[in-house]
Amino acid sequence: MLPASLLLVAGCSSAAVVKPASPGQDSGEGIQISTSHCGQGWTDPHAGPQDLRFTNTDTVSAEAYVVDVPRGAVYGEMEGLAPGVTRSLPITLGSGTYAIKCAVEDNDPIVGPSVHITGSSPGGPALVPVNYNDLYGPAREYQKYVAGGLKTLVAKTATLAADVDRGDLKAAKKSWLPAHLAYERLGAAYGTFGDFDGAIDGRPAGLPGGVHDPDFTGFHRVEYGLWHGESAKSVRSAADRLLKDVKALKADFPNEDLPPEDLPLRAHEILENTLQFELTGKSDEGSGTSLATAEANLEGTRHTLDVLRALLKPRYAALPQTDVQLDRVQSLLDAQNHGGTWTPLQDLSGTDRESIDGAVGDLLERLAPIATTLFPRGSQ
Amino acid sequence: MSGYDRRSFLRGALAAGIAGATVGGMAGAASAAPQDTATPPAPPFHGRHQAGILETPRRRTIMSSFDVVADDKNGLVDLLHTLTDRARVLTAGGTPPQNGVTTPPSDSGILGPSVPSGGLMVTVGVGASLFDDRYGLASRKPSGLTAMPTFPNDDLDPAWCHGDLSLQLSADDDDILLHALRDIARHTRGGMQVRWRMNGFTNPPRPTGTQRNFLGFKDGISNPDVTNAAEMDRLVWASGKAPDPAWTAGGSYLVVRLIRMLVEFWDRVGLSEQEQMFGRSKDTGAPLDGMREQDAPKFHLDPEGRVIPLTSHIRVANPRTPQTDASRILRRGFNYDRGMDEVGNLDVGLIFTCYQQNIARQFEATQKRLIDEPLVDYISPFGGGYFFTLPGVQDSSRTYADFIQV
Repeated sequence: MLPASLLLVAGCSSAAVVKPASPGQDSGEGIQISTSHCGQGWTDPHAGPQDLRFTNTDTVSAEAYVVDVPRGAVYGEMEGLAPGVTRSLPITLGSGTYAIKCAVEDNDPIVGPSVHITGSSPGGPALVPVNYNDLYGPAREYQKYVAGGLKTLVAKTATLAADVDRGDLKAAKKSWLPAHLAYERLGAAYGTFGDFDGAIDGRPAGLPGGVHDPDFTGFHRVEYGLWHGESAKSVRSAADRLLKDVKALKADFPNEDLPPEDLPLRAHEILENTLQFELTGKSDEGSGTSLATAEANLEGTRHTLDVLRALLKPRYAALPQTDVQLDRVQSLLDAQNHGGTWTPLQDLSGTDRESIDGAVGDLLERLAPIATTLFPRGSQ
Repeated sequence: MSGYDRRSFLRGALAAGIAGATVGGMAGAASAAPQDTATPPAPPFHGRHQAGILETPRRRTIMSSFDVVADDKNGLVDLLHTLTDRARVLTAGGTPPQNGVTTPPSDSGILGPSVPSGGLMVTVGVGASLFDDRYGLASRKPSGLTAMPTFPNDDLDPAWCHGDLSLQLSADDDDILLHALRDIARHTRGGMQVRWRMNGFTNPPRPTGTQRNFLGFKDGISNPDVTNAAEMDRLVWASGKAPDPAWTAGGSYLVVRLIRMLVEFWDRVGLSEQEQMFGRSKDTGAPLDGMREQDAPKFHLDPEGRVIPLTSHIRVANPRTPQTDASRILRRGFNYDRGMDEVGNLDVGLIFTCYQQNIARQFEATQKRLIDEPLVDYISPFGGGYFFTLPGVQDSSRTYADFIQV
């Protein structure tokens, strides 16, 4: 649940263990979720940790939220409650005025009657939710950043392809990294670019022929050729294909709509990829530039965060510490950049490697709540 | 029963000590095995089907795969005779023979002077590679047995894939399993070598019902009914009818998938998103349109996936339509824990195993539906294989080698 993940990061200790529901609570109807009787049946409002039971008494699916009045901050949510179904929501409530908000499928959300709770027991964390409209602006800004980055990507990939075409593989080894990093800075995690990502930056995993599979294409295919002594002719077809795919992505991108609700997910997903594939060395096909890629991914993450910053500031108390941790990862990675030549992963000292892994892991724990905090709630 | 030549595996003093006496001696002493009331009764070794398929999974398992290194067909037959003998002896328990000063002890002794059966179940299968040109068995290959293909979301490591033989050992205690594997390996070194092995375990119910996997969700809730013989004949057991060779009757196709779970990443995902990926409540295991673990999801009432998303794991894996009913599989999942990875993350996951009558119709049809499901970002299949688990050894005159000789 959202509050739990916020608590985890903030180190708040007020999260008491929710008391298990007493046997009598496990049957019968709960608080009604419907367009006509939203919030009715909240018979025993009290402070402290508890399970609230909701029953969808409408004819279509619904979402239920526990909000405070009049601010509308959300304390708990239940998605996709089917008609006729009763489910429990663990929640902690302090003294205050609350109401149930019913978002019944294809209807505007309704707020039920106010309920007053007294007592000294502290409440759980709450969040003034964002909606889809709030995220359109940041999504557009991010798209602008990517559009600019794609121009750089095409230019640098063209340089790489030209070096390969000339048969100058030594030069190509030098121009490969700037082109690859231009792509990695875009933050192409988890389907942002659809099938283009697999073609441009895919690994041989999942291909029956591995590195020799005809469907293994893109930067890592070119990398494999350049660092495994393949002939210029062999590398050329891979580099030409890469340039073609990169151009196709640039041409296609203006037609692609980035779903705004995906943007908050990217805040941690870009670096999840980094931890899984770069810091393990899994994506390396010979260039030894995993740490350079990690640094480019960090830059992509920063841009994601920058466009979300205005929404995050009033909602995410750990934002300053997140920024501090971003800088810590940055300086640890920069220390491995020796004038454009990066320490290969396997040459890192044990201490340096642990420091980087630890700092990235810590940063990820701080970035993850951004996805749940900025998840659009209530109306589409 | 041991009137065959095992020279290819046992040489010198060891062979002299064990070959003549061990099998008979130990098996004969089975009735004297200590009775451990905490141990569930093991199914008898002899039977129409092998143990370890329909039985409720034990607390511990060793899933292993072997490459056969026997020189020729006779060597392979010897190997399978020895394997049968050891399985028979180990599942019965008893007192190992005393070899005096002539050889090292016949048993490792890790289970004490009298070996308890410990509820041990031994399940043996054959891989497609066993039917290549080494042993002249091409004509005896089960028709649906192939090497496990690479699926699009896989990240396979060849060292953790395939194998000529599969051997699964199951019991409630690790020492029973390790004793069995140590004994079997000792008796078969010249005939087969471990290609890969993974230790696994089942989790106790938390708090009730089906065990939870390491993603925190109850896993394996909806399985065919193993007490329904007709359903097992339809979904699990090979019929022995063409195109399968007749010897396959009573066996079953086994798929093993070693699946890493990226639990740190998963822990950084919101609860709603997690539940939408599975289609179940994390707390109760109920489908999102239900209230209890055993409630059947009603997909037909939710055609747009507003409650249980169309992409959710339970909906794609088992759409519960008449057309997909025959693709159901008998799942037997075990968890594994093998330490940490390169970046300090937990290296844990699932030894997914399933039994079926036809891999293409069942596992592969299901797996193809699951390609690119949202869950694939949090799991990484890295090994496994396809095997055919042999029909049961029906009596003391029969062995695992019958499929070669009959």
